[in-house]
Amino acid sequence: MAIKTFKGGIHPPERKAATTGKVIERIAEPKQVVIPINQHFGAPNKALVQVGDTVKKGQKIADGAAPGPMTVPVHASIAGVVKKIEPRTQSNNLDGPCAIIEANGTDERDFMPPLDAFSCTKEEALTRIREAGLVGMGGAGFPVHVKLNPPPNKPIDIVIANGAECEPYLTIDEATMIEFPHLVVEGLAIVMKIVGVSRGVIGLENNKVRALGALEKAIAEHNHGMDISVQLLKTKYPQGGEKMLITAITGKEVPSGGLPMDVGVVVQNVGTLKAIAEAFIEGKPLIERGFTVTGGACKTPKDIIAPIGTVLAEIPDSEVNIDETRVVKTIFGGPMMGVAVPHMNIPIQKNTSGIVLMTAEEYGRDTDEEGPCIRCGRCIRACACRLSPVIMNNALNAGELEQAAKIGLLDCIECGACTYVCPAHIQLVQRFRVGKQLLRNKRASQPKANA
Amino acid sequence: MILASSPHFSSPVTSRRLMANVLIALAPVTLFGIYLYGFPALLTIVVSVAAALASDAGFRLLIGQKPRIDDLSAVVTGLLLALVLPPSTPLWMTALGAIFAIVVAKEFFGGLGANVFNPALIGRAFLIMSFPAAITTWHKPVGFSAPLTDAVTTATPLNIIKLGGTMTDVGKSFIASGVATSTDYNSVLQTLFIGTRAGCIGESSILLILLGGLFLLVTKTMDWRAPISMIVTAFIASWALGMDPVFGTLAGGLIFGAVFMATDYVTAPLTARGKLIFGFGAGLITVLIRKWGGYPEGTSYGILIMNAATPFLNRLIQKKYGYVAPKKGAA
Repeated sequence: MAIKTFKGGIHPPERKAATTGKVIERIAEPKQVVIPINQHFGAPNKALVQVGDTVKKGQKIADGAAPGPMTVPVHASIAGVVKKIEPRTQSNNLDGPCAIIEANGTDERDFMPPLDAFSCTKEEALTRIREAGLVGMGGAGFPVHVKLNPPPNKPIDIVIANGAECEPYLTIDEATMIEFPHLVVEGLAIVMKIVGVSRGVIGLENNKVRALGALEKAIAEHNHGMDISVQLLKTKYPQGGEKMLITAITGKEVPSGGLPMDVGVVVQNVGTLKAIAEAFIEGKPLIERGFTVTGGACKTPKDIIAPIGTVLAEIPDSEVNIDETRVVKTIFGGPMMGVAVPHMNIPIQKNTSGIVLMTAEEYGRDTDEEGPCIRCGRCIRACACRLSPVIMNNALNAGELEQAAKIGLLDCIECGACTYVCPAHIQLVQRFRVGKQLLRNKRASQPKANA
Repeated sequence: MILASSPHFSSPVTSRRLMANVLIALAPVTLFGIYLYGFPALLTIVVSVAAALASDAGFRLLIGQKPRIDDLSAVVTGLLLALVLPPSTPLWMTALGAIFAIVVAKEFFGGLGANVFNPALIGRAFLIMSFPAAITTWHKPVGFSAPLTDAVTTATPLNIIKLGGTMTDVGKSFIASGVATSTDYNSVLQTLFIGTRAGCIGESSILLILLGGLFLLVTKTMDWRAPISMIVTAFIASWALGMDPVFGTLAGGLIFGAVFMATDYVTAPLTARGKLIFGFGAGLITVLIRKWGGYPEGTSYGILIMNAATPFLNRLIQKKYGYVAPKKGAA
C-alpha cells in the first residue's frame, strides 16, 4: 500500500512505547463524578436535573438552553444522586457549571432502545446521534449530528475515519482500532449510510500498522456492502489534523475559511465512530470513553475506559498511580495541542483523549525565555498550512492585525508545530491564538464596510 | 506545575545548537587553513574570535543589555571573518574588522536576528576599503615552515587571471609555491579543489568546504537552495561571459561564500523562492564583478548586495493551504 501524507510537518518524539500494545483497562466505577454541563462546541446547555434528584446511568441531565442545532445533551455516567450543581474547573482551564453525582450503589440504567441505522430514516438516525450526546472525541467536541447533516448544496462523497493519532504519547485510538475494530467499522458504515456515500477510508499513521489486520478483518465482516478501506499515512505531526488528513487521502485542499464538506468529505475520529456504533447497537449514550494516561510521572501508564466526569485525582492508585513529586505539567490531551491544567481535580470529558503527566526531563527545556528570532525559517518548513509563522509573528508584534490576517492568521490550525521547532523558543502559536481572538473582536466591533 | 499553553514540549535544536553546528562545519577548513598558512592564520583566527566575543559582550553591557555570548553567534561571526581574510592581515586590523562587524553591522541594527547585512562580510568589506593593500597581500601556502616576512607573498589564482594571465600562469605560480609539479590544466584544477593555494584562510579547499556543507545539510542546519542556486548561476554566467566556469567555481571564495555566507539565517531570505532568487542574484553579481569590476573577486559584494534585497524577497511567501484567489470585482 502506498503511504500517503501532506507537505510540511514535524517529527516530534513519539513516546508511545509505554502504553503501546497494552490492553485497554476499564476502571472501577468511581464513587462520585463531576460532569460538566457543557461539553460541546456550540451554544450553551442548561441542567435538566436539580440537587437531590436521583438519576439513572444514561439519563439525560443537561440539554440546550435554547432550541438550535449547535447543542448536544449530557448524560449521567453513573447511577446516583445529584449532590451539587456548581462551577468547577474543567479541562479547558475554565470554570463551568458541573453536576456532581454521588453513586448510590445501583446500576440502574436509562439507555435508549437499539436502533437499526440501516433501516431507519436519516432524521431518526441524526436524532439518535444527538440524543446520545455525541461530539467529536478527538479533541474539538464538535456536535456529530451537525457534521453529518451538511446542507444539500454540499454533496459528500467520502467519509474518513481519523485513526492517525499524530499526537505524541497517545495510544487510545490505536488500542480502540485493535480491540474494537468491529465497532469502528460499524460506526463508519453508519456514518456513510447517514450521509449517503459508498466510500469510506480509515486513515492511520504507519506506526500503527499493528491495527491493520484487525481493521481489515472487521471490514470484511461489517462493510454492509460498501467500499471501506484502510489507508496508511506517514507518521508525521499533524497528520491527524482534519485538513492534513483530507489532503493526504483525497489530494484535495479544504478552501481557506471553508469546511471539509466543501471538498465533499466528512471526517470522524475512530473513538467517535465506536461511540456512534454503541449508540445504535446498545442505545448507549456517550457516558464513558477510552483515553491514555501516561507520561514519565505516571507509574502505571495505560489506556483506560472511565465514566465521563471521573476526576483524575479520585482514580485510586491501584488503577492509576501518579508520582506527584515529579509532575511538572499535567496535560489534558496530547503534548502538542492539549491543555495544561493547574491541579488534578479535573474531570474526564467527552473530548479527553489522554492525560500526560510530564516530568522535567520530558519537558526538556531549561529556560522558557524567548531568544531573538534568528530567521532560520524552521517554522515555515514545519507549517502544514504553508503559512510563514515568523512573518505573521512580526506583523502581530507590530500590531498589524489585518496584515497578519492577509498572510493567513485565520488559516492557522494551531497545531503548534512552529513553536515546537523554534530554536529561540518563540511562542508563535500562542501569539496566533491571541491574535485570532483580537482580530475577531476587532471585526465584530466594526460594522461591515460593504455588507 | 507549569501552566503554559500548548505545545508542551519542544525540539532540542536550539539557536545555540545551530550555531555549534556551523562551528563544527567550519572546523575542517579552519584547521586546514592553519595547516596551510601557519602562525599568521592561527593568530588571525584567535584574534578575530576574541575581538568578536569581547565587542559583543562589551557593547551589550554598555547599552545595559544582558550579554549573549553563550549563544555562540559572535564566535561564528569572528571565525567567519577570519576565514575570509588573508592570513597575513595585521592583527590590529583583524581586531578592528571584528569589532566593526559585531558593533556596527550587528548590534547597531538591534543585535542577533535584526541585522540586514552579513556581519562577517561587512567586516571584510570595511577592511578592504580601509586598508586595500594589506587585505590584498597574499601569503604563500607554506605552513609553519616559513618566517613571517613579506618574502612569502604571492598572487591568488583569480589575481593572475584578472591581470591577464592564463591557466598555465596559475600552474606556474603553484609550482613556485611548491604545491604542484605540473602546469597541466587538470593538475591546476586538482590543486584548486584540494586547496593548497594562496587565498583567504578558509576559502581555498573546495573539498573541505563541501564536507562542511554536507554536514550542515545532513543536520538540516542549512537549506540547499541559496548555495546551489548561487553556484549554478555563477557557473553558467561565467561560461556565458567567456570565462572558464570550472576555474571560476573552484578558485576564489565562491564556494565558501555560497555555503557559509549565503546561508546565514539572519541576512538571507526566509522563503524557498526567496532563497533561490537570492542565490541567483549573488552568483550573477559575483561574476559581473569578476568580469568587469575593479576587484578580482566579487563573492562578498554579491552576497552583501543581495542581503539588501532580502526584506523584499521575504515577501515572496508561498501560497497558503487552501488558498482561494480573490474574486474579480470584489472590494
